[in-house]
Amino acid sequence: MSTNTLTVVDREGQQHAVAWEPEQSLMEALRDNDLPVLASCGGTASCATCHVFLDGDIVTSLGERSEDEAELLVDAEGFSEDCSRLSCQVTFEDRLNGMTVTLAPEE
Amino acid sequence: MTEQSTDPIVIVGSGHAGVAVAAGLRTGGWDGRIVLIDSQHGMPYERPPLSKELLTPGAGEKTALLRKEDYYQARGIERITGHPVESIDPETREVVLADGSRLPYHRLVLATGSRARELPVPGADLDGVLALRTYQDGLAIQRALVPGAKVVVIGAGFIGMEVAAAAVKNGCSVTVLEFQDRVMKRVTSAPVSAFFEGLHRARGVHLEFGAAVTELQGDGRVERVLTSDGRHFEADVVVAGIGVLPNQELAEAAGVACQDGVLVDEFCRTNVPGIYAAGDVTRFTSPFSGASQRLESIQNANAQAEALVSDILGSQPRTPEVPWFWTVQHGVRLQTAGVMHPDDEVIVRGEPATGKFSVVYLREGRLASVDTVGGLTDFRPAKKLIPAGLLLDPSLVEDPAVKLEDAVTGEDPRSAILETAAALV
Ligand SMILES: Cc1cc2nc3c(=O)[nH]c(=O)nc-3n(C[C@H](O)[C@H](O)[C@H](O)COP(=O)(O)OP(=O)(O)OC[C@H]3O[C@@H](n4cnc5c(N)ncnc54)[C@H](O)[C@@H]3O)c2cc1C
Ligand code: FES
Repeated sequence: MSTNTLTVVDREGQQHAVAWEPEQSLMEALRDNDLPVLASCGGTASCATCHVFLDGDIVTSLGERSEDEAELLVDAEGFSEDCSRLSCQVTFEDRLNGMTVTLAPEE
Repeated sequence: MTEQSTDPIVIVGSGHAGVAVAAGLRTGGWDGRIVLIDSQHGMPYERPPLSKELLTPGAGEKTALLRKEDYYQARGIERITGHPVESIDPETREVVLADGSRLPYHRLVLATGSRARELPVPGADLDGVLALRTYQDGLAIQRALVPGAKVVVIGAGFIGMEVAAAAVKNGCSVTVLEFQDRVMKRVTSAPVSAFFEGLHRARGVHLEFGAAVTELQGDGRVERVLTSDGRHFEADVVVAGIGVLPNQELAEAAGVACQDGVLVDEFCRTNVPGIYAAGDVTRFTSPFSGASQRLESIQNANAQAEALVSDILGSQPRTPEVPWFWTVQHGVRLQTAGVMHPDDEVIVRGEPATGKFSVVYLREGRLASVDTVGGLTDFRPAKKLIPAGLLLDPSLVEDPAVKLEDAVTGEDPRSAILETAAALV
């Protein structure tokens, strides 16, 4: 497996090319590349500070959110049923290479 | 940027707080030197998985890193590992390492965390008596949790109960000895304790309350645990989870004011100019309740790191986040926002028997804290309602069909007074 490249849109609308390594969750790739995701629970679906928007088709293909993730996201700022995910719950897949990730507003 | 210096910002301790400070300084624009020192070898890692993922059957030896391996070098964060800082010289602004070498600092950050309190009884040094604080401790416990092993856990706090849950999952026979009359008494109310006690018992954990341990016995290796009521419990392994002590000795010796924790203000400044402290090692006044507290949590380590970085960089500090904490036992999550007090009014929302409910703590009618069990619906509204100091209607709170935010009856009169005062200025 090789590294993926992501396009990340930050909260100011700025685009960044970010490397996503196979062992990392999407949250870890964002955090370890200095994007402002607080990720205060370390990736355990407890805090929602790693909330991102993905393409609707990708969200569908990722399958159901866990109950914890769903409950955390519902009240999150800017929540979108179609596009919202906790990035710590998205695992690396080759087929996600090149996808665009938009950081959700900070609470 | 306020100022730069050729001397580095030196951070003692590479746990959650220390790493968050280093990362925060760099992303915040500090381009001077940063030196991150740790007494442990290896890469800085997350602690919560040590009592959770690392102890699940078949887990392997991997645990989560705080940042990927090449992160530090890529950002010019210098790391010194396997060397404790032995002393601080606030006069010359230097730290002294174990090998005698001295390192000058521009600013010093103490993020030395806490250590497991040792059992104050005879036999505590026998083989097979373990505590859980470091990755090495986690591995030692993982190896000890073999099927059929008789495991005695001393202390029914978070760590003890997480270890007990993992131990039964590994096929061990598990007894928890607790001096108090219920589990997690220090941090939660009776209904939450009762729920988790039921859960642990249903999974085969034996719980013994009012059991004060007086001695551990064995021939070189632990064999039994004695309690003050004359009972004894057979043990192949003993895990003690009886709380932590702040690693404040280094600070104390340098003249930094300590009182069961290094005393810090809201920017994590100590009483000694140029020296900050963050994380488990600190004691501070809660901006929400006014209480003096030590908080042993990831949220606190991160929040304090941020406050301190904003002070060093002269940037805008974030509004304080309410403290929060989580634990997972037998796959069930308990997540808490705010800090409860034993005198708070306790209201149960929902039916514990369903495995999904919340407990709301009101102080003078205001939302002080919430425990959510098996679900997170009330967690995020609570995180907003607590700092707002809002009054809640207890009869509405009791009804889980009413959203927590809809149980608000009015504003805190204090905030109305403050607003009026602000308008007059
Ligand atoms: C098993 C376990 C499970 C936990 N689970 C949770 C949880 O689910 N949720 C939660 O919120 N919190 C949890 N916690 C608590 C949380 O891990 C701590 O609150 C957090 O680690 C505090 O961060 P810190 O940086 O202050 O200290 P630490 O992370 O402990 O780091 C301190 C570091 O300083 C080093 N050090 C000490 N003295 C010196 C010295 N003189 N020189 C150099 N280095 C030194 C230590 O070796 C250590 O690496 C858990 C803790 C443990 C042990
Ligand atoms: S990092 Fe906390 S929910 Fe993802």
